[in-house]
Amino acid sequence: MLMSPQGFFRLRVLLVWASLLLAFAAFVAGFELDFSVVRERFPNLLGLRLNPDGALQGAALSVLVSFAAMAVAIVLGLAAALGKLSRSAIAYGLATFYNSFFRGTPLLVQILLIYLGLPQLGPVPAAIPAGIAALALCYGAYLSEIFRAAIVGVDPGQWEAAQALGMSQGATMLRVILPQAFKSAVPPTGAMFISLLKDSSLVSVMGLWEIMFLAQSYGRSSYRYIELLLTAAVIYWVLSIGLEFLQAWLEQRLRARHG
Amino acid sequence: MTFWMRRCAPLLLLALAAHCLAGETLDRIQGRKELVEVVDPDYPPFAFLNDSNHMDGFDVDVAKAVAQRLGVRLRIETPSWELVIAGHWRGRWDLCICSMTPDQRKAQVLDFVAPYYNSPAVLVTTAQNTGLQSIRELSGKRVGVEQGSSYERYLQKDLVIAAPDAKALSYPFNDVRIAPYANEDLAFQDLALGAGRRIDAVLSNLGTASARLDRMRGKFRIVGEPLYVEPNWVAIDKGDPQWSALLARTLAELKKDGTLARLSVKWLGKDLTQ
Repeated sequence: MLMSPQGFFRLRVLLVWASLLLAFAAFVAGFELDFSVVRERFPNLLGLRLNPDGALQGAALSVLVSFAAMAVAIVLGLAAALGKLSRSAIAYGLATFYNSFFRGTPLLVQILLIYLGLPQLGPVPAAIPAGIAALALCYGAYLSEIFRAAIVGVDPGQWEAAQALGMSQGATMLRVILPQAFKSAVPPTGAMFISLLKDSSLVSVMGLWEIMFLAQSYGRSSYRYIELLLTAAVIYWVLSIGLEFLQAWLEQRLRARHG
Repeated sequence: MTFWMRRCAPLLLLALAAHCLAGETLDRIQGRKELVEVVDPDYPPFAFLNDSNHMDGFDVDVAKAVAQRLGVRLRIETPSWELVIAGHWRGRWDLCICSMTPDQRKAQVLDFVAPYYNSPAVLVTTAQNTGLQSIRELSGKRVGVEQGSSYERYLQKDLVIAAPDAKALSYPFNDVRIAPYANEDLAFQDLALGAGRRIDAVLSNLGTASARLDRMRGKFRIVGEPLYVEPNWVAIDKGDPQWSALLARTLAELKKDGTLARLSVKWLGKDLTQ
């Protein structure tokens, strides 16, 4: 045998991928597209250069906003998950209201409520903090349900064993339950992260020059709309693949440690 | 003072202060030595991102001229159109030289300072569609427009032109079917498929249509004479009469010394600023 069974499987998967990519390329090739306009603008789309005002733009800006929002969202999601599991009426009420509102209303509305609504009370937020806040609040609500399911999914025997050892509720949660819940929370959280990356395009309503904004603006000024949108799609796809690798690495590490 | 009065008094003062914007814009501009202008970033040749990643176009050049007159730098912001016409700019932006046509709804939250150019509305069809000579022949046919634009309202026979010398509009057509699009590019993409495939014509303004025709030679042509003309005004956030007066004076100067006319010819091919 030239190759192990797994190696042969991987080779076949790669061939399937290659043929699908070729089919997609053939489909797109039939559009009469002219990608020369994309070449000069590509560094800007990637965010390798700053915009005329010296601000971040393109993929660099999208990635910054997404990572910052995800970090805050994880904290909010954990707080809301614990709140919903708590016996305190205030915590439960806050958590369920937060979940319901931020999952139930469109993200665009949330962004505008922060950007336009908050100034009515005094503070006038800048675009990037407002965008990160809105994305974090929205995705925190979704993550809270994922975390709650992961926490509830840990074997109840763990709670009993911890109680038998005389551990407090808080210590049990922190040192026994959460580490185990973490493993099953990773795949859906990874999916949410990929979704957040694409939702980050909504911050363009506040004037931020992220990927979709630049792609659409270049597309309209060069009258090559589809070429630029396809380029933006490919950039998002590559970024998502990066996130998928990150998730796979994390799952691999957890499997190695906990089996 | 009671506990609550001490807490609420500053908030109340803040709320009252928000209504006294007079002079605030000028102070901010003078202080930062910077004029912040908003444009719709996807509107060539009025405002668009050029090859070197800078905002360029007629609106941008007029704003640069205003900034130069005031002796300050220009910074361009590109929030979405809905945010601009919602008003309550909260000092984020100073003015909008952004091809805005005034109407009652916008006038509730914005102050319109002065008109700076006129937009003739024209019908565009494919170059092959040589038979079409006027909008009268479009009964039962589909015409593409940008959703929510004045062109859509014209086809709905519901357009009011906000100019003191505006004549009542005539609608020399019947039964034209409206095809709304999220933006003009999509309408023109569909028109490029061929007149009659998805739509038969697009109603748009002479400025953007000419620019498109120049870039894509031989694909489209303009049908007949302009159907009507809309004035475009410079807009600012409501409640600052000093800024409005200064801006009006600056624009009048630019008009008098021919700067506006020169820019109009540069970007639009002819002087539409009269």
